[in-house]
Amino acid sequence: MMKKYLIIFSLVLLAGCSKVEDLQNDPNRATQVSPDLLLTTIETTAFNNVSLNAALASRQLTFTDGTNQYQYYNWQRAGFGQYDDLKQVYKMIQESQRTDSQVYQILAKFFNAYYAIELTRVFGDVPYTEAVGAETGIYTPTYDRQELIYSSALDSLKAAGLELAQNTETIRGDVIYEGNKRQWQKLINSYSLRVLMSLSNKIDQTDIDIVGRFNEILNNFDQFPIFESNSDNAFLVYVDIQDNRYPLFNDNSLQTAYYMEQTFVERLQNYEDPRLFMIADKKPNASNLNVEDFSAYGGLYGSAPLSDNGSKAVSGEASRIKPRYYNNPVNEPSILMSYAELQFTIAEAAARGWISEPSEPYYKSGIAASLTFYGISEAEDYLNNPTIQLNSNEDLESILTQKHIALFLNTGWQSFYDQRRTGFPEFNVDGGGILNNGLIPKRFMYPQNESVNNPENLNEAITRQFPSGDNINASMWLID
Amino acid sequence: MKKIFTLLILLVSLVSFAQQTVKGVVKDPNEVPLGGVTVMIPDSSRGTVTDFDGNFSIQVNSGETLQFSYVGFTKQEVVISNQSLLEIIMAEDAQALDAVVVTALGIKKEKKALGYAVQEVEGDNLEKAKEPNFVNQLSGRVAGLNIKNSTDLFQNPTIELRGATPLLVIDGIPDRTLDIWKINSDDIESISVLKGATASALYGSVGRNGAIMITTKRGKKGKLNVSFNNSTLFQTDFIRVPDVQTTYGNGNRGVYAYVNGSGSGTEGGGWIWGPRLDQQDPTTTSGFYETTQYNSPVNPNTGELMPIPFTSRGKDNIKNFFETGIIQSNNVSVGWGNDKADVRLSLSNNYQKGIVPNTDLKNTSFNLAGTLRPTDKLTLNGSLTYNKQFTSNFPEVGYGPTNYLYNLILWTGTDVDIRDLKNYWREGQEGIQQRHFNISYYNNPYFQAFEYERGYNKTNIYGNASFNYEITDAISLRGRTGVNEYSLYRTYKEPKSYIGYGNKSRGNFSIAQTEYFDITSDLALHFEKKISDNFGITAEGAYVNYYRNSKNTSQSTDGLNVPGFYNLANNAGATLLGSNREEKETINSFYGFIDLEFYNAFYLSLTGRNDKVSTLPEGNNSFFYPSVSGSVVLSSLFEMPKWVSFAKLRGSWSRVSEGKIGSDPYDYILAYEKGTTWNGTPSTYFGSNLLSPNLEPETSDTWEVGANIRTLNNRLGLDIAYYQARDYNNLIYSPISDASGYSSILLNGNEFQRKGIELTLDATPIKNENFSWNTQINLSHYRRYQEEIYGDREQTEGYIRVGDRTDKIYTGVYQTNADGDVIFENGLPVSDPYDRFIGYDEPDLTYGILNSLQYKNISLSFLFDGRLGGLMYSNTNQKMWWGGTSKGTVNQFREDAVNGENTYIGYGVVVTGGSVSYDVNGTITEDTRTYAPNDVPVNYISFMQSTSNYHNKNYHYYKESFIKLREVTLTYQFNEAFLERTPFKSLDVSLVGRNLWLASDIPNVDPDSGVDNLQAPATRNIGFNINAKF
Repeated sequence: MMKKYLIIFSLVLLAGCSKVEDLQNDPNRATQVSPDLLLTTIETTAFNNVSLNAALASRQLTFTDGTNQYQYYNWQRAGFGQYDDLKQVYKMIQESQRTDSQVYQILAKFFNAYYAIELTRVFGDVPYTEAVGAETGIYTPTYDRQELIYSSALDSLKAAGLELAQNTETIRGDVIYEGNKRQWQKLINSYSLRVLMSLSNKIDQTDIDIVGRFNEILNNFDQFPIFESNSDNAFLVYVDIQDNRYPLFNDNSLQTAYYMEQTFVERLQNYEDPRLFMIADKKPNASNLNVEDFSAYGGLYGSAPLSDNGSKAVSGEASRIKPRYYNNPVNEPSILMSYAELQFTIAEAAARGWISEPSEPYYKSGIAASLTFYGISEAEDYLNNPTIQLNSNEDLESILTQKHIALFLNTGWQSFYDQRRTGFPEFNVDGGGILNNGLIPKRFMYPQNESVNNPENLNEAITRQFPSGDNINASMWLID
Repeated sequence: MKKIFTLLILLVSLVSFAQQTVKGVVKDPNEVPLGGVTVMIPDSSRGTVTDFDGNFSIQVNSGETLQFSYVGFTKQEVVISNQSLLEIIMAEDAQALDAVVVTALGIKKEKKALGYAVQEVEGDNLEKAKEPNFVNQLSGRVAGLNIKNSTDLFQNPTIELRGATPLLVIDGIPDRTLDIWKINSDDIESISVLKGATASALYGSVGRNGAIMITTKRGKKGKLNVSFNNSTLFQTDFIRVPDVQTTYGNGNRGVYAYVNGSGSGTEGGGWIWGPRLDQQDPTTTSGFYETTQYNSPVNPNTGELMPIPFTSRGKDNIKNFFETGIIQSNNVSVGWGNDKADVRLSLSNNYQKGIVPNTDLKNTSFNLAGTLRPTDKLTLNGSLTYNKQFTSNFPEVGYGPTNYLYNLILWTGTDVDIRDLKNYWREGQEGIQQRHFNISYYNNPYFQAFEYERGYNKTNIYGNASFNYEITDAISLRGRTGVNEYSLYRTYKEPKSYIGYGNKSRGNFSIAQTEYFDITSDLALHFEKKISDNFGITAEGAYVNYYRNSKNTSQSTDGLNVPGFYNLANNAGATLLGSNREEKETINSFYGFIDLEFYNAFYLSLTGRNDKVSTLPEGNNSFFYPSVSGSVVLSSLFEMPKWVSFAKLRGSWSRVSEGKIGSDPYDYILAYEKGTTWNGTPSTYFGSNLLSPNLEPETSDTWEVGANIRTLNNRLGLDIAYYQARDYNNLIYSPISDASGYSSILLNGNEFQRKGIELTLDATPIKNENFSWNTQINLSHYRRYQEEIYGDREQTEGYIRVGDRTDKIYTGVYQTNADGDVIFENGLPVSDPYDRFIGYDEPDLTYGILNSLQYKNISLSFLFDGRLGGLMYSNTNQKMWWGGTSKGTVNQFREDAVNGENTYIGYGVVVTGGSVSYDVNGTITEDTRTYAPNDVPVNYISFMQSTSNYHNKNYHYYKESFIKLREVTLTYQFNEAFLERTPFKSLDVSLVGRNLWLASDIPNVDPDSGVDNLQAPATRNIGFNINAKF
């Protein structure tokens, strides 16, 4: 009798037991996806490049809550985070191959080139050919020479543009151009021109045919279309939805600790540049003045000691940024590359004599495009203002200065690297506060975890490039 | 009424018997008189204790039995007929010394048979000085168990047993939810802490880090037993609170003029580097320096704010804001039992009122447990608990604008009086904009308390049912199943204008729900036989299945339309934001053990277990591991010196493997994660970790030796344990070059060694008729070393090398010259591009000292505990130096800076020439630098804003050492004579205090929790306890 119950008990106990094999699928994540889902990730990362640090390093803004390393030029290291973005590109290629589509693989060529350039211009030599190889067992990639990276990236860009023209597939998941392949071609070619221009210091020291390639693109619009107006701008438009908002929206520091940089404000004042009213707020001690009164604006000197800037700030002598940058959830788009930048790049090529056309039309067209971006419709007065006219066809300083204004708090770190390459506009270091022996750094040190995770290759790269070791004032191939 | 009648009868009957006085002396086998022996008449309230010379005297009726008991000796009973002088010789009893203890799977074993360390805490110890959860009460009571208490309301303490989180087991069933709030301490009969892997190896992988075994109370044989326990503590004041300066107020560079609270004036930055407070100024009507402030009146003519006196009116903000917290617990239980059945019913209610206004926690439990013995051979057992944890608001924790101290004191100058902030809406913008002196960085604490509400509603149901059937005398079949189920519903109400980091809320409402279920079932065949007097064997073989299922869903608005209306339907955004997640997991196991015993002196135990888990890939997910342990009772084998009462040596070895990676059962699967949806376009991304194709379980081999010695008639006992664990095949996220596309690869690698020593000393220095003093000291020390780095790497990403302790702290520092002087440039210290070693994290010693004194009916117990050594980073101290609230910032340099003068010269050197180069690890390869003393004066305020005084304060790493008076209990036990006139069987009242006193190396922060996240100030808790049994 009792035994029978026991058997029943035991059976009930064991009946509920579950099998291991039944529970080995993750119900929360997909192991395969369509490539467009990765394209959206890649785009929203690559185009989302608004950087306050870049604005500090480029003497557009200043910071008063402590000595900021980007403003006082005592920064040290940057990270290799963009290799993770490159991996998303790698996964997009994998999924594209799996689903037998070509177009995402073509776009991947652009993004591969874009991230490789973004990385190499920061450090110098970086892993490229062996990069993103973990899935094939390469955990310690070798570092490639910068020249090879540039040359290879340019080839990829060219191939991408040409292949895209032939492709008939639909691009889905494209939040930039909504699948418009012609516009993608324009971006790829315009961007190629930027990359070529970034090699301007190497014109006689490389096998890359910089001028030839520049002209090849510029002279064959059908085959190599480039931006034609602001409507081609490669930018990410923010939306008032969580995670889709302007990244500085509600930023506490921006409304309390950041001020306009003095040389930047003075330049706009001297030029009577109406963009000042769109960028800066009136300084507190001039709050009674009219918005369009240039004397209502002021700034802090980027290289001045923190205490000087702090006292000027508390006494109301410095302008903050326009409240829209932290009040407006969509503010303005984030730009990967604009029509204005392209025009200044061509103007620079003209000034350098790479192309036979004069620089002025491109210069003016770049300024006009920038004014339009800021919603200023009346461009004529400004374009005719004597203070902004080119002194000569070779007036690089004016071209790069206007480019610097047009790239205010957009296009990532482009302004800083243009200045590193050309010296224009001058970034002040004479205010007594600089913490890098009065120098503007030329690069960032490699991430410290590379010395643990990839020490041999890192060491080799440092030794061959920088005899004095890995430091921020060393000069890489690109700007030697 | 009936009860009183019974009592009367009893009284009458007592009187009616003729009583006689019996005197006597009690001695040990060596004829040494024994003091402190309890002499009592069973089932009566009469009893006494022998005096120092072993003498006693008691009133006895003829025919009654006298019982003599004393720790370490066999109980003796003598029936009184007409003796009047007794001489009792007590026999020593090694068995009685240790009795039994609950081990893995709820199996009771004789303590002396154990080959591993187990320490017990009796439920009585948890009865009086209550904490909101029982784990906090274990602080200092178990050597090797390190409880790091949180001062915040409804926050888990960190529980570390030999450096890792142990398994929680309730009545033999592992509870992997580790919800320590659902167990009421009044329902705990005893807690036994199984310290090492060997002890808990039978639980399999989950038992790798030892276990805290809870045995709940059951109905006891005998009459119906009703008991009531009330404990009420008040959190009256604070033992540690940030001590801020009150000399200077809000502002920057000595300037303060409020404009709009968000950046148009000097108040927006939120610094406390403002003007001097309480400055005399004869030119103003108030006689004090005046400036515009957030509560300035508006000039009706100009519409502008009018200056008001800038005084330290907020000196008592802490006292004025925090309320007296209450921790109250009530329990009623009814127990009954006889030979066939027993039952216990318990109802508990815990209420905690937080020190932050409008915060509380209600915790109610209902528990029913019973046993049936329908035949001699069958026992049925069951227990079921319903538990409800509920609060409509408990405080957000962690550093940041959501933290109360952050808004109240760390980032608020004392020019702001908290009492002025009770009206927390800006006039005309009620529901839209909070009123505060700074509305870009900080929250008005009252606004936070009454508008930002975090609700928590959890229902737990858990219990178990089991049977045990004796098939023959030696063989029995045992089955058991235990379930845990809970449903958790959390809400987050975020008012408009609420400030988070980089976020000014547009109002939000979020819901998060969890449905959880797990079930553990086992079926075992048990064999137990005493073959001869000198040989016994116990063996068991069993099958166990574990299954768990957890479902989480959360939904949130993207902004609110109607302010203060918290419902998902009030969403202002385009769509609701939401996510869901489901996890299922199972483990199928077989295990067995054999226990052998020889000559009552040698004990040997062997165990083995095989787990098949769903949390590793097929093929590598089934694994076996064994353990062996043994003990020798020396005092049974050899003639020991007289002063040795008991001596035992023990040792054990075990191998335990773990087949789960972190907390996610699917971490062995590579897959895409959901990315940002951009304006309706979805996205996915691939994570930064790669998997090795051949993941195996990770394994720990542990050995342990220990000794237990009792001397001087058991007046002095020592238990010592030394253990070493080798953790290998660890499932680690081994870092790889970021340039490879992944930052890590999950694989089996690295090897660590853990070792430690634990010591428990028990002593009874005094014991006589009226007075006794018991003391217990618990000490432990623990270390972990890196034995191997995967891939033969030179160092880990944390710069740990083979042979190093793994708790080395490396941090960003300033450059120094060979003499250790900080190098300055432009008056500011120069950062070192390489992280440097500055100390160790782990304490050298964790200790607890427990004393209990008894004088007649009064007992007093107190517990000190703490830690020695180790470093902790202090967020609070760093922010105080940075923000300007540290008392150390009140000095002439600051005064100069306020007046615009740069006078501060940091102690150190400047480089006058030469250069330095480093290798990739930051070792200096060449250094030709020459130096001169730093002579550049800088602005003190700028200096502190840039450095937080890091170089003078060891980069804000402080010694963690502290001592705390954790608990004091003073109890008065009403005597029998009094109780006989009342309905009570027993009654005691206690005055209790917890966290009464603290001394530490680190200022401003209670280091108890081991981390400084700007937790709530540590409170001093004082109250009372009433315990009555009917």
